[in-house]
Amino acid sequence: MSDSIRDRLSSPEDDGPAQPLTTAGFVQTDSRSAHGGAQVAPSTHATPATEGGDQGSHSGGRLRDDPQRAKAAERAVATLFLLSVVGVIGFVVSYIAAPFDFGKNGYQYYTPLLGIFMTLALTGVGAGAVLWAKTLMVDEETVQERHDLASDPADRASAAALLKSGAEASGLPRRSLLRNSLLLGAGSLAILPIPLVFGFAKFQHKERILSDTGWKAGARLLDELGRAVKLGDLEVGGVKSVFPDVPGGRRMADSAALLIRMEPDVLHTVPDRKDWVQDGHIVYSVICTHLGCPVKLYEAQTHHLFCPCHQSTFDAANGAKALFGPAARNLPQLAISVDSDGYFVAQGDFSEPVGPSFWERKPSYSDKVGK
Amino acid sequence: MSTLRTKASGYTVVVLALVLVGGLYTALAAPKGKADVGTNQSIAVKEGRQLYLQGCSTCHGLNNQGGAGGPSLVGVGASAVVFQVGSGRMPLANGASQAARKKAKYNRGEIDQLAAYVQSMGGGPVIPAGSLSDGDLALGGDLFRTNCSSCHNFAGAGGALTRSKYAPALKKADERTIYAAMQSGPENMPRFSDNQLTPDEKRAVTRYVRFITNDNKDPGGAALGHFGPIPEGLVIFLIGIGALILVTLWIGARA
Repeated sequence: MSDSIRDRLSSPEDDGPAQPLTTAGFVQTDSRSAHGGAQVAPSTHATPATEGGDQGSHSGGRLRDDPQRAKAAERAVATLFLLSVVGVIGFVVSYIAAPFDFGKNGYQYYTPLLGIFMTLALTGVGAGAVLWAKTLMVDEETVQERHDLASDPADRASAAALLKSGAEASGLPRRSLLRNSLLLGAGSLAILPIPLVFGFAKFQHKERILSDTGWKAGARLLDELGRAVKLGDLEVGGVKSVFPDVPGGRRMADSAALLIRMEPDVLHTVPDRKDWVQDGHIVYSVICTHLGCPVKLYEAQTHHLFCPCHQSTFDAANGAKALFGPAARNLPQLAISVDSDGYFVAQGDFSEPVGPSFWERKPSYSDKVGK
Repeated sequence: MSTLRTKASGYTVVVLALVLVGGLYTALAAPKGKADVGTNQSIAVKEGRQLYLQGCSTCHGLNNQGGAGGPSLVGVGASAVVFQVGSGRMPLANGASQAARKKAKYNRGEIDQLAAYVQSMGGGPVIPAGSLSDGDLALGGDLFRTNCSSCHNFAGAGGALTRSKYAPALKKADERTIYAAMQSGPENMPRFSDNQLTPDEKRAVTRYVRFITNDNKDPGGAALGHFGPIPEGLVIFLIGIGALILVTLWIGARA
């Protein structure tokens, strides 16, 4: 006991500078000693590899010194490990046998059962391992120095000689035609991926995917259940989410719009857009010009459209002018008219590209008239 | 010719007699029941007018025309009264950005009388008779998510609007209040006409709102106010990371 590493480390004459390691390449220190792991033991002291059977004495006040308490700790660890076996079996059994179908008697216990057994299985192993390490293992820290990054000089010399003789044998240094044509051929491979990148970029420009939506002239305004909206469906102060009546129109995220009805004398249209509205009905894109959140919070008294993400506010009675918040541009407007059957139809696409700014966005109507 | 005329005059007499009998019947028998309903209705209107003059006329004017601080009530209909008075928002206690829900000042009977009176002054939407809670739950969910959830939150927990206005949480609203709100569009809420959301669809939304706010037992555990992934993530982060730190400390601690 008195000869343990800890005792030797804490003795005053050991407080010298670090010295190179010896044969075993590592030393052991006790983490509980005052010097901690930072202290490298002098080489004059034997390493555990040479001390062999002395290891038992390194554990200080650990339970392994007390056979009875060590036995108890071992049993506790074993219990935890067995608990995880129970967890695994319980998980598999409840996965197969517990009622799963919605509404079946006791179905609501299915997921909690799986969770409880999985917790048992994982914590059993984990807690057991930690307990094992804390009670029964030798609590020692080892320090091992890195070997040099460079190889042995003799190895390096022989590798260099091998390369050199290989190059001579291939004839490359002498045959310049061979060498240059090889460089040209291999170098031209680098050109291969360039058309691929070019193709990706071209695709976006061709499709105008960011500029156009599903709305086109003559498309009726459909509600969320696919019904066309008629003049007179909305009361003053009413709003309705509308989608274009084109194939797949109700799934086009960029085409979502809001039909609003207000008193015709409250609605101030932009001068060039007098015939874009119909008897107090007006349609705007609901995609925020800041970051594309749905601007569907409509206040019937203030005629404000409000974005829940960053509080951008638009005045629906004045061309959806951006009043407040980070959005810099007005909401795009959709020109509408009424067809001969009394249904609302779009006169074309939105007044400008919907949603946030993007690289190739063209200056548009609202940029010209200002805010 | 004369026989034809006799025949014709005979038919005329029969027709006249039928008209006379029918007219007498309508005059004597039918009006009786009608008079009952009418009298009840007019009593309700009369009682309602008394309540109105005492509790509402200071702001809304002696003849619903509006006035100091209160809007005109002509044409708002009975459902506006059911919503505003039934949810305690009216009479208004103090001026704020919008009327807040409080304990109702009037009982159900008085609210119906007030509603009958306001309805008699210019008409407006009325809550239909019969159950409001037998709508199609799945349809109600579809309609709620497109028409209501942007302001009232996907779980009816409410949310903020501009300048300290807010869309209220829906948990305390009963069927009549929910239905009346859709019809009358109180304050900044849009109105949903019967052409836009049919009575069947309004009943579906009403049932769905009650379902998600009151009947849903949150099988996933604590709902954290139904505000969604941000508070959930925050709680998981704080509690989860805290627990992990404790476990780490235990692993590193001396035995």
